[in-house]
Amino acid sequence: MKIIVAIKQVPERDARIRIDSSGRWIALDDIEFRMNESDAYALEEALLLKEAHGGEVIVLSAGPERVGQTIREALAKGADRGIHIASDSLASLDALGVARLMAAAIADEHPDLILTGLQSDDLGLGQTGVILAELLGIPHSSLILKIEKIESGLRLLRELEDGWFQHITLPTPALLTIQSGNTKLRYATLMGIKKAKTKELRTVDAASLGTGSQPSLLLDSVALPSRQKTTQMLPGSPAEAAAALVAKLQQEVRVL
Amino acid sequence: MLVVAPSILAASPAALLAALTPSLTLAEPATFDLWQRLLLLALILGSGWLFWQRFGIVVRRILAARKDADFQIFPLGRRIWDFFWEVLCQAKVIRERPLPGLAHAFVFWSFLAFALVTTNHIATGFGLGFLDPAGVFGRFYFLLAAVFALLCAVSIAGLFVRRFFVRPIWLAHKDNTVSAESGIIAGLIFLLMATYLAAYWVPSGSTAALVLWWLHTLTLLSFLPLVPHTKHLHLILSPLTVFLSRGSFSRIPPLADDDDFGLVTGRDITQLTALQVYSCVECGRCTEHCPAANTGKELNPREIILGLRGYLNEYGPGSEEPLLGRYNSQQAAFQCTTCGSCEFQCPVGIEHLPVIVGLRRGAVNTGEWEDDHGGKLFLALERNGNALGMAQTEREKFLAREELPVFDGSQEYCLWLGCMGGYDPKGREIIRSFVQVMRFLGTSYGVLRREKCTGDPARRLGNDLVFQQLAESNLENLAQNKVRKIISICPHCVRTIAEDWKAYGTPPEIEHHSEFLARHQARMPAPAAQSGTTVFHDPCYLGRYRNVYDEPRSIAAVSGTLVEAERSRERSFCCGAGGGLAFLGEEQGARVSETRVGQLVATGASTIAAACPFCNTMFRDALASRGDTAPQLLDIAQIAAAALPPMPASNPADGQPSPV
Repeated sequence: MKIIVAIKQVPERDARIRIDSSGRWIALDDIEFRMNESDAYALEEALLLKEAHGGEVIVLSAGPERVGQTIREALAKGADRGIHIASDSLASLDALGVARLMAAAIADEHPDLILTGLQSDDLGLGQTGVILAELLGIPHSSLILKIEKIESGLRLLRELEDGWFQHITLPTPALLTIQSGNTKLRYATLMGIKKAKTKELRTVDAASLGTGSQPSLLLDSVALPSRQKTTQMLPGSPAEAAAALVAKLQQEVRVL
Repeated sequence: MLVVAPSILAASPAALLAALTPSLTLAEPATFDLWQRLLLLALILGSGWLFWQRFGIVVRRILAARKDADFQIFPLGRRIWDFFWEVLCQAKVIRERPLPGLAHAFVFWSFLAFALVTTNHIATGFGLGFLDPAGVFGRFYFLLAAVFALLCAVSIAGLFVRRFFVRPIWLAHKDNTVSAESGIIAGLIFLLMATYLAAYWVPSGSTAALVLWWLHTLTLLSFLPLVPHTKHLHLILSPLTVFLSRGSFSRIPPLADDDDFGLVTGRDITQLTALQVYSCVECGRCTEHCPAANTGKELNPREIILGLRGYLNEYGPGSEEPLLGRYNSQQAAFQCTTCGSCEFQCPVGIEHLPVIVGLRRGAVNTGEWEDDHGGKLFLALERNGNALGMAQTEREKFLAREELPVFDGSQEYCLWLGCMGGYDPKGREIIRSFVQVMRFLGTSYGVLRREKCTGDPARRLGNDLVFQQLAESNLENLAQNKVRKIISICPHCVRTIAEDWKAYGTPPEIEHHSEFLARHQARMPAPAAQSGTTVFHDPCYLGRYRNVYDEPRSIAAVSGTLVEAERSRERSFCCGAGGGLAFLGEEQGARVSETRVGQLVATGASTIAAACPFCNTMFRDALASRGDTAPQLLDIAQIAAAALPPMPASNPADGQPSPV
C-alpha cells in the first residue's frame, strides 16, 4: 500500500499569539511550530497500515524552509520519504491554491491512499484534503476514526454529529481526512531521528509547479478574541427569572 | 591434627600436655625429595592450567567488549582513595552489614597476610624458602599470620553458618537455593587456616609437618581453579572493579556514536560493564535495599547483573541477540525507581544504574518500549515541555497570581519552579512557602518567564532524544537570561541540572532549598517549643545522589523532635516516584509509596517532613487511604514558613488569599 500523508506545520498550541503589522496574520517570529494535531493522527494511521500490510508512507507538506523540520519529524516516526513544496508565500493562497500545489507535486506518485488531518489547528478550514481529492478525481471521506483494509478497498468508521457513527466502504485509491484521538501516537526516538537523516526528502519549488492562479478567497484581517464578561440581572419572581434564563440559554447561548 | 593423634594416644599425660601446648615456631618439613618437587611442580602447573581454562575465557570476554568511550584513568587520587577505603579497609562491607562485614574483612585481611606466607610456603617446597621460622622476622610474621588465620577460621565458620543455617532471604537465588559451591569454598578456606595453624603443634622436620605442608598445598591448589568458576572470582576482579569505577554516583555514560542507542545487544556491553558483571559476588545487598524487589515486583537488581553475566556466558560480548530477552526482561528494567540503593550498597563496585538506565535507553531509543503512560509522558514533554502535559499558560497564570518577580539578571537567584512547582497544586504550595521565607530573608530572586522540564523523567526512562532537546533548550534559555545561581525545591531538578546537563553544556550553579534554608537558619526566628515528633524522609536524589542529609533535618526539627525511620539517611527507602515511575501506570505488587509511608507512620511521628515534591505527592496519596489518624505531611519549606512571624495582611505571599 502506497500512502501519502499531507501534513501541515502550525504554531504550537499555547504559543503567545500577536497580530503582525499587516493585521492579516499573526507575527511568526518568536513562535515555535508543531505538526498539526490531526495530521499527526493521520500519520499514525498510515504507519499502522504500513506495519500491517507493508508498503510505503510518503509525507507531503507545503511551506517555508522550517517545514522541513516537521517532515523530518514524520520521517523519524517511520515515514519512508518526504516531499516538501517550498513556498514562502503560502498564506496568500486559499485552500484551492494549496490543494492545486499538492495535486501537482504528487502527480507522478499514484498512491493507493491519501490521508490528511481533519482540519488545521490554525485556520481550521477543513477543505484542503477534500479539494485535493476532487482535483485528483478520487473518492474521499472525512472525519475518519478507523481504517480497515478489505478485499474491495477500505472499510471505515466515520464520526457523525451527536455521538453517532457510520461504517462505510470505499474503493481505492481514496482520500480520507482523519479525526484526532482514536489511536495512541508513537513517541519520536533517537534511532528514528538518526535514520531520518538518511531518508529522501525531495524539495519542489512551488513556482515550478505552474498552478499559479488568483485566490478566490482572501483573508482580510485577523484579531485576537476579546474577552467579554457581562452580567445581566434577570428580574421578576423566581419562576419568571428561571423561564427567562432557560430562554436565554436556548436562544442566545444555545447550550440547551 | 589427625596425623598427630596416634602419638598422643600412646604418650603419658605430661607428654600429652606438651603436645597440646603449641610451640612458638612454625614447623616446616625438613627436605623434599626430587619426586616431591616434581609432583609439586606438576600440581602447580595443573592447577594454574585449570584456573586459566576458565579465567582466560572471562578475561577474553571482558577485553572483547566495546571500549568505554568516556573512560579516563585520571585523576588517580580518587581511584587510589576508593581502593584504599573500599578494598583495603573494607569500609563499605563493614558499614552496611557490620557483623558479617567484619567477618568478611578478617578473611580478606588474612588473605593479604598470607600472601607472603603462601609464597614462602611454595618456595620451601623447592628449597627456596626465604622466611626462617626461627628467625626474628620469620617468627614474628608467622605468628601475626597465625592470629589472622585464627580470626579467618572463626569468621569463615561464622559466615558458613549464616549462609547455610540462618539463611537471610537475599542470599538465596530465585529458586530459594543457596549455592553449594560457596560451602565448598568456605570449607577449603577453613582447611587452609587449620593446616597452617596445626603446624604450631608438630615438631619441625617431622613427618607430621610434611603431611600438613602437603595438605595445605593441596587445599591451596584445589582452591585456585575453583575461584573463576564461582562467585569467588570477585577475589581477583573486584579490587580492579573498584579501582576502575566510573567515578560518580549513577553516572549515565554519553552515547558513543551514531549507532549507539544504549544497551540493545551484546555489542553495546562495554568493558567496564563486563568487568562489573563478572565481579558480582551475589551478596544480595542490592536486592535487600531495592524498593521494587521489596514490594513484590519482578525487578531484582542482582538478577539484572547476573542476567547480563548469563548473556555474556552464552552469547558473548559481540552478539546481536537482544539483551532484553532470555536473561533480562523489559518489565523488570522499567520497574526501577533509580533510587540508587543498589549501586550505593554494592561492595564490589558494580554500577547498577548505568546498566538499568542503559537497558531502558536501548528499549526507548529504538522504539521497542511501548507503554501507554510512557508514550503519553514523552509526547507531553515533546509538545508541552512539561511532564504533566499542561499548557504553559497555566504556569504563567500561576506566576501572575502569586506575583512572582520575573528573573531579569539583576537578582541573585533564579528560582526554578520545575514541573511540580509550576503546575502541581501541592508543588505550588511548596513554592509559595519557600517564596515566603525568601521574602522574609530579603533574598533577591526571580522566576523565568518560560521554563521546560529538566528532562529528568526522560533521562531516567532512557529517552535520549527528548532529554537532549529539553536540556539544550533550557541551557540556552538560562544563558540568554544570564542566570548564574539556581535554587530549586526539587532534588530531581537539582541532580539533572547539575550533573546530567553537563553532556550538553555548562549549567549554572544550583542548590536545593534545604541547603539554602539550613544556611540561613540562624536568621530565622527560633521556633516555639514543640510537643510533637517529626520523621524526615530522605529523598533518594537529595541523600544518595547529593549527599545532603543534615541540612533538611535541621529545618524539619523546627516542627518537632526528630525521630528516625527504620530505613533512613543513605539507607532511605524510595517513595516510588523516581526514574519516571511517577508518570507510569499501576504497579505490580504492593505500592512502594504505601510501603514507605508504613515505615514512616510506624515511627509514631505526628509530622512527616519531605524535601521533594515527588515524595510529597506520592505520600499524600498513600496517606489518604489511612484516614484521619494519618500524620500531617509537610515540605521543609512549609515547616520553615510556618515558623515565621505573620506578614502584613496586604502581602499576597503569606499564603492567605487577600481580599482585593
